[in-house]
Amino acid sequence: MSADRPVPPPEGHHWPAPPPDGHPWPAPPPHGQPWPWDGGPGGEEPRRRLHPLSPALHGAKSLVVVIAGLSWSTLSRVGLGWFAAMVALLALGATVLAVISWYNTGYQVVGRELRVHEGLLWRRTRAIPLERLQAVEVVRPLLAQLTGLAELRLEVVGGGKTEAPLAYLGVGEAAALRGRLLDLAGRVPATGPAPAGPAVPGGGSAEPPGRPLHGVRNNDLLVSQLLTPQAFLLPFGLLFVVVQFLSAGSWSFIAVASTLTAMAGVLLQPVRRVLDDWNFRLARDDDTLRIRNGLLETRAQTVPLRRVQTVGVTWPLLWRPKGWLRLRLEVAGYSGAEPDDRNRPDRLLPVGDRATGELVVAEVLPGVRLAELPTTAPPRRARWLRPLSRQALGAGLDERVFVARSGLLTRRLALVPYARIQSVRVVQGPVQRRLRLATVHADTAGGAGAAAPHRDLAEAWVLAAELAERAHAARRAR
Amino acid sequence: MTGDENGGPAPAPAGPLEPWPDTVRWQPISRDLIWVELIRLAVLLGVVLVGLAVAWAFTGARAFGVALALAVLAGAWRAVTIVRAVGAWGYAERPDDLLVRHGLLVRRLSIVPYSRMQFVDVSAGPLERAFDLATVQLHTAAAASDARVPGLRPAEASRLRDRLTALGEDRAEGL
Repeated sequence: MSADRPVPPPEGHHWPAPPPDGHPWPAPPPHGQPWPWDGGPGGEEPRRRLHPLSPALHGAKSLVVVIAGLSWSTLSRVGLGWFAAMVALLALGATVLAVISWYNTGYQVVGRELRVHEGLLWRRTRAIPLERLQAVEVVRPLLAQLTGLAELRLEVVGGGKTEAPLAYLGVGEAAALRGRLLDLAGRVPATGPAPAGPAVPGGGSAEPPGRPLHGVRNNDLLVSQLLTPQAFLLPFGLLFVVVQFLSAGSWSFIAVASTLTAMAGVLLQPVRRVLDDWNFRLARDDDTLRIRNGLLETRAQTVPLRRVQTVGVTWPLLWRPKGWLRLRLEVAGYSGAEPDDRNRPDRLLPVGDRATGELVVAEVLPGVRLAELPTTAPPRRARWLRPLSRQALGAGLDERVFVARSGLLTRRLALVPYARIQSVRVVQGPVQRRLRLATVHADTAGGAGAAAPHRDLAEAWVLAAELAERAHAARRAR
Repeated sequence: MTGDENGGPAPAPAGPLEPWPDTVRWQPISRDLIWVELIRLAVLLGVVLVGLAVAWAFTGARAFGVALALAVLAGAWRAVTIVRAVGAWGYAERPDDLLVRHGLLVRRLSIVPYSRMQFVDVSAGPLERAFDLATVQLHTAAAASDARVPGLRPAEASRLRDRLTALGEDRAEGL
């Protein structure tokens, strides 16, 4: 990945991007040179640094990591003074590193690509072709909100993780850059960025630009997260701790603190969901979806509709009395390798009733009616493999999407537009062979795709052929 | 060469229920792959056996003897399945997509449209080269896509690669 200093075209410059109209292609500046950001060679846009406050923010962020890393036991062993000293030292070190990294990081837009330069010893220039842009996200953690900064995240296919998080930019700059990148990414929003520009820098405005589709009531969100297994089990956990504390009496401060920390960890997910999805607003701006959410950390996601690979519908067991559901969308570029699913902008609707779900699905996948999806259950003999959940399984071909249903307690539905199918697989395990069953998978670029489990063998072949045919037709039609 | 259960150039994985028998012409892969796989197995088995034998000799524990016997049995069973599994591999080029099927215990069929191809890998390890074989792998944007064709003659491998890239460019759509 490292581009050595004397080599003029560093790694990543190998895209023969079209010359910007009129200008001859300007040579990339040699890397050893001092920062060419104020007035690069003729016509080329200057390289720009991130916001000067970013190292401070990174340092503050590392403080939390350091404290968490040192943990309670260290605190008890070394005492408060030493603990504070260690924390300060480590955080200071992290800040110094952040300053160095900030000094050497820059970005510029060249033609139809964004280039991000970084690294002091191992220099790296990453060129991101904007045609491949899958989604853009403006994230504002709490500290960034206080300081008026924002982080810009780009999702590109093939990236193992979020590519090029530009952390941090000024809010106005981030919004302008987002608009510009989406504009350059082409066709996607014909008019999108223009109105987006003035609307976003306000920062506090909770409404994303475009035609509002839906806003989730914070009340519903709170109730929905109380209706999760974690929240349900919390009282028992607390009871356990209290009983232990009272009965044994020998529990030290450390033990209690650690237990409470562990319990907080369990609770973290619902709490985080509430914080993340607070003020959830969904809007449609031409061909892009605009999602805005978050209480402490606000994020504004922009997902072009044609980049949506899969829509997943979930009916958790505890939500069933309320008739609520959750919608997620998968975009290519957010790899499953990222275990922390917090950074995946895949929440299309954190909680909503059936009518809302139908509305949003119809908006994201035109012509798909959630209530009238034709699915059929696998044949009766599949009960040998799935004695309980056979009836819950199902698959079907709608006009525009492939539908797969699963889950007995937590019911799930996966909708894959035919045009997004990357490949079709038929898999048959040994038991399935005995029973003349097979599973048909439709793979997509993001997420797990959809699978029609345990179909009759002959039907599976027909289904696979039909999927391949429809995928082909759907692509040709566009 | 050895133990071909179904005979003919294209052993059927699902018997009478083979998909689309009249439109798809399955190409078998070279049976030399059997030897490549057998040698690989022998090397692996050899390492395991030597390790177990040494452990047995030093400790004298009966368990190692049992493990040794089990390893030999497993190796022999695997050798038999290798022979049959190579027979089960097959691929077919259709106008718009590539079909690849493989597997005995778990049978898999992949349908990969050319238009979805991101890149093609042709690889040949030292063992494969010794037997004059190569592997072609088709990659799509989906990580789950599974289109690997081992045991091709180099000429056939490069023909397939060229055809795939040509067709892919023709219809490129990507995502």
